[in-house]
Amino acid sequence: MGGRPPGVATRSTPPATCHESTSADSDNGSGRPEVFAILRAVKAVRVEFAGIAKRYGNRSVLTGLSGALVPGTVTAVVGPNGSGKSTFLNILSGLIRPTRGEVRYRGDGADLERQHWLALLGVAAPDMAVYEELTAIENLRFFARVRGLTHDDGHLAALLEDVGLARRELARPVATYSSGMKQRVKLAQAIVHEPAVLLLDEPSSNLDEAGHRMVANLVARFRLRAAVAVATNDPREMVWGDARIELAL
Amino acid sequence: MRASNWLSESLAVLAKDLRSELRSRVAVNAVGLFALTTLVAVAYQIGPYRIHEDDRPHLLAALLWIILYFAAASGLSRVFVKEEDAHTANTLRLAARPGAVFAGKLLFNLVLLAMLEVLVVPLYCALMGYAIAGVLPFVALLVAGSIALAATATIIAAIISRASGSGTLFAILSVPLVLPVLVFLIQGTRAAAASSEMAAVVPALQAIVSLAGVTLIAATFLFPVVWHD
Repeated sequence: MGGRPPGVATRSTPPATCHESTSADSDNGSGRPEVFAILRAVKAVRVEFAGIAKRYGNRSVLTGLSGALVPGTVTAVVGPNGSGKSTFLNILSGLIRPTRGEVRYRGDGADLERQHWLALLGVAAPDMAVYEELTAIENLRFFARVRGLTHDDGHLAALLEDVGLARRELARPVATYSSGMKQRVKLAQAIVHEPAVLLLDEPSSNLDEAGHRMVANLVARFRLRAAVAVATNDPREMVWGDARIELAL
Repeated sequence: MRASNWLSESLAVLAKDLRSELRSRVAVNAVGLFALTTLVAVAYQIGPYRIHEDDRPHLLAALLWIILYFAAASGLSRVFVKEEDAHTANTLRLAARPGAVFAGKLLFNLVLLAMLEVLVVPLYCALMGYAIAGVLPFVALLVAGSIALAATATIIAAIISRASGSGTLFAILSVPLVLPVLVFLIQGTRAAAASSEMAAVVPALQAIVSLAGVTLIAATFLFPVVWHD
């Protein structure tokens, strides 16, 4: 394990408050029925991880990380560059397999199948781009459709305005956007389906002060009903966390 | 899983790829220019009269599919590589079901192949003086061959997408899977050129449909593993 102390997951908040998804009800009948049935039945999703370790060759990035992301809680994942924050979020989202350990998505005390928890998961990360040839609206329409949702353009435009994109910007391809505007589209993509678990990796990167406030509001909104994890080095973002996972080199 | 949702999600992937392609024109330009260059070179050097009458059925059928396949390969192999290059693959992985992604990409490759065939086949027949006696059997071959080639290219494109040197790998993996399809397509085309009877192309058609079926079934099981691992 390279002599590195294992990351410690701590939870400083009381047990999660469960809020039934109102978006699931409003979308009822417009998309993937089994997902909405699960959303209604599950109410909240808890992400449990036990003994997570990851090695790249001889280098250990994570060593025996255990804990949980709890609905109604924001977990700040902090640590210096290279400590494995992004790797940890990628393991939680299933994009990377851990060398050791397991991740379980649980709803109402039962394990959820991969296809179901993926439908309830929203992720924004630096290495997850949106389609540059498409406009912001077209991107959101696509990501909604492949999730089995059929939002009208008015709803999608409102969502993009919520993340700080002006309506006049929405008809341009994302390729013409600034890096901050692209980050806003990425965040909108992550929440277009009102996820029950939201993983944000450096969510304020490339954003100005107004953008930082927008992300703070977004995190506060999702704290009410979702399990949220924010991987960050920014002290302003660390304070959002009710719980903290500290990773070391 | 309801079929209507799966189909709708697959069509969403297709529509997204078509829209992206219409705006960037990377694959269309690569495939179109490669096809035209090869076609003009073949027509200029060989033309309708420089092949002995006895050799025409064999050579013209073979040349047609060589032009079609090698032009198509430059575009078909990029359906997943472009997602990795643009860093959109992980976003897509988390949003869409693997089955819908594969079906959408397969449909996109089919559209690309169809466009290529619409462009190349009439030009080839005109420039090379290639008369097809059995047009309907030939169209059936084109459809079956396109499905087989697109299915093979799509699953190989998925396998190679995260590898370095993906172009070389595509060529290496394609050989054992594409070669039998091309052999039967050439045989079938030769038969369709000589006879207007559907029966003439049935043996080749059966073989191509079987190969397409096997590839599609294998890809259905293989793709989720390739896509998520």
